[in-house]
Amino acid sequence: MADNPLVAIRDLSRRFASRPGLFARPRIQHAVADVTLDLARGEVVGVVGESGCGKSTLARLVLRLIEPTAGRVIFDGIDIGSLDAGGLRRLRRRMQMVFQDPYSAIDPRQTIGEAVSEPFRIQQIRRTRAEAEAEIERLLTLVGLPVGMARNHPHQLSGGQKQRAGIARALALNPDFLVLDEPTASLDMSIQAQIITVLEDLRRELGLTYLFISHDLGLVRYFCDRVVVMYLGRVVEILPTARAAPRHPYTRALLESTFEPNPARRRDVARLGGEIPSAFNLPPGCAFAARCTRASAECRTTRPELGPEAVACHHPL
Amino acid sequence: MPLLAVRDLSVTIGPVQPLDRLSFTIDRGEILAVVGESGSGKSLTAMAVMGLLPLIGGKASATELSFAGQDLRSLRDRDWRALRGRRMALITQNPMTSLDPIIPVGRQIDQVSILHLGFDAPRARARSIELMEQLRIPEASAVHGQYPHQLSGGMKQRIVIAMALAADPELIVADEPTTALDVTIQAQIIQIMVEAARARGLALMLITHDMGVVAQAADRVAVLYAGRLVEADRVGPIFGQPRHPYTRDLIACIPREGQAPGTLRGIPGSVPGVFNYPAGCRFHPRCREAQGLCAAEVPPLRQEGPRAVACHFPNGAAHG
Amino acid sequence: MAANRSVLARTLLTPRGGIAAGFLAVTVACALLSPWIAPYAYDLQNLSQANREPSALHWLGTDEFGRDLLSRIIWGARTSLAVGVTSIAASVICGMTLGAAAGYFGGAFDRAVTAVVDLTWSFPEILIALIFVAIIGPGLNSTAIAIAIGYLAQFTRLTRAQVMALKTETYVEATISLGAGHLYVLFRRILPNALTPVVVAGMLATGDAIILEATLGFFGLGAQPPTPSWGAMMSSGTAQIFIAPWIIIFPGLAIAATVIAINQFGDALIDALDIRGRLREG
Repeated sequence: MADNPLVAIRDLSRRFASRPGLFARPRIQHAVADVTLDLARGEVVGVVGESGCGKSTLARLVLRLIEPTAGRVIFDGIDIGSLDAGGLRRLRRRMQMVFQDPYSAIDPRQTIGEAVSEPFRIQQIRRTRAEAEAEIERLLTLVGLPVGMARNHPHQLSGGQKQRAGIARALALNPDFLVLDEPTASLDMSIQAQIITVLEDLRRELGLTYLFISHDLGLVRYFCDRVVVMYLGRVVEILPTARAAPRHPYTRALLESTFEPNPARRRDVARLGGEIPSAFNLPPGCAFAARCTRASAECRTTRPELGPEAVACHHPL
Repeated sequence: MPLLAVRDLSVTIGPVQPLDRLSFTIDRGEILAVVGESGSGKSLTAMAVMGLLPLIGGKASATELSFAGQDLRSLRDRDWRALRGRRMALITQNPMTSLDPIIPVGRQIDQVSILHLGFDAPRARARSIELMEQLRIPEASAVHGQYPHQLSGGMKQRIVIAMALAADPELIVADEPTTALDVTIQAQIIQIMVEAARARGLALMLITHDMGVVAQAADRVAVLYAGRLVEADRVGPIFGQPRHPYTRDLIACIPREGQAPGTLRGIPGSVPGVFNYPAGCRFHPRCREAQGLCAAEVPPLRQEGPRAVACHFPNGAAHG
Repeated sequence: MAANRSVLARTLLTPRGGIAAGFLAVTVACALLSPWIAPYAYDLQNLSQANREPSALHWLGTDEFGRDLLSRIIWGARTSLAVGVTSIAASVICGMTLGAAAGYFGGAFDRAVTAVVDLTWSFPEILIALIFVAIIGPGLNSTAIAIAIGYLAQFTRLTRAQVMALKTETYVEATISLGAGHLYVLFRRILPNALTPVVVAGMLATGDAIILEATLGFFGLGAQPPTPSWGAMMSSGTAQIFIAPWIIIFPGLAIAATVIAINQFGDALIDALDIRGRLREG
């Protein structure tokens, strides 16, 4: 654990109950289970996993956009679970989110300028008209959008431009910490590279700390300092450096699923068979055992703990 | 003789011409990747090949557009219907739009072989389950009776692929078949499609914006930009010695294993809309190597054996 | 606002939108200016001129008390529009408040609202209105209140559906993540986006409300004599239907034309706004 981390996540859990029928017993889904993680100041931590692994729920728990069932999030020494509405609103100036779907992240009725300056209005930060306009100009320039775009409505922008506007809005209040929830997943590869480059530049210029959520381990290994791998709500491995060799079979399977732009290195991905089991009715042992080629009897009965080596596997590679 | 031959294919929709004199061929047993960003004309190419342009009020013109020796340009509606689904099949990006939500998925596969191959119901069912097993759908006979909403996105896409394969087509056109899926599922689906194409000797036209997918699956590659073919070649040379700056930029968009931080390059700007196509080479406003000539003159597509490139300065020839 | 102006322009430029809007403008002008443009006072009786057919003196004829029908129809527009517009406006405001609160906050309040709405939804508006007029007594005010209550379920339901759909939009979550409270999210993000379909549905319901007001008037439960109301005029005309059919025909035409104009204008507006699908969500 780093000294004086910016964000400290402790045993964070979130369960969802759903009732399949009117008289059926409610089913419990452990969307996020016992996640403990520190983010040092200026660090970029990637969270990677398939759909339904809980990474987006984790993102929302860290910002308290949804309430945890158990556990705490401590932001710069402040337990965000203990804050009242006013305290949480003030803290939101320091922690912001960039959303996956740029197409619906901005109200279609707003202009880009209105959207980018709305954080000041919500936080009741008074500015003169000239100050507000200067601020919009600064923010749009920061993310590489032409200043004149402030007058446009979102439908007049391309997907990449909308995502830049979303980043500008998140930066308006000069936050220290951004949660990036798959910000490039719905964009073309060429635009993804643009957005990643913008985020790299911003991090360098503004000293930001990122929690980067993605399903693409190849991208995460390029962009992040450390990588957290999640499977069915639990952390199964934390790679101490982004380029470290994977030790959990699931991390390796993820890595083998990313296609490099090199036809000489075609992958045989037959090894990762099967589908993710339902998050309701989890098996007692390792959740990955059913898809794992290395699974033993022990894996099906006893759940491996993350441990000091940061790999939750009975038979690590 | 190639299975599908396209020469100087142009598409017009009302007053605009979003696709301009596109040429390519696909042989049996071959996988051709058609690659480019959104707005490059990839999907229009697919629609033109499938005869679906009338749906969006588009018109195709070409000096050659033939499938297995048959001229597609003069085909009537009835003949198109006999061809589509039977000898050429389409797989779209969103499996939900291809599946009927109120019919069990297995029955939807059955219907294809009943309609196109004249199978009776039990025989169609047996064939569907066999296909589903080939596509590595676990417990295929149970999944056969399930409805689309009970299946994951990756499973639904496999059902759509099974439907495409059910009529034993000669050509499959797959339009961004994995864009909506997780990387692990994408990897499986691409692998399954490649295996199916190889095993059956069918031609696959794979449309994508992802050079990673191209590198993994394709035999040959056609790179499209703003409605024009800018480069075409076998997959090895496309990645080994890409000659068009756009091809190089597309490849550079994907981080390689071990690539140093801060070295990723996107392509600045975005594909121009059909009303704003620039003069000369349409890529020149975004090109790092553009010269004065690029804004003035359209670079002709130069064909040398299997390679074709439309650039005034391939490999930065201006400097050499 | 530029977008709204172009929607209005697109509505008015279609033939049916333009004609309907023109007719409605005349009707509204009659209602607003009736004291000045009506050729006679609405209650000026002249029994020697009773049941006269249309003539140069009385363009639409006279009724059984010799009152000028044209004047009474012009004055009647005032009654019909006032009741139709105020009752639906009240119903829209109450329905939006209830529907927005139920859809946004959910929980027990939502279940209670939904239960009541589903219950009243299964009765026709006219039955609900009749029940309330029976309780609070006849008259124009109670007609308006009864109509407002009759349509409450429709607007509550439509608003609730809109709010539930908009609540899951990313831009709502984005606004919350910027630190906004519930009221900010509700009034700045959700309601402005939910407003258009509800207002258009209200516009269409105004036509129905005019018919409902006329029906209650026809049964003697609405406007009381001598206040001119199209429905009450038709009612009194039934006795003279064979000797002076114009007494019942002209108010009937006024009702039909106004309602058709409102519906046509509303339909043109729906097309211009492209919201036909969203209206069905209710």
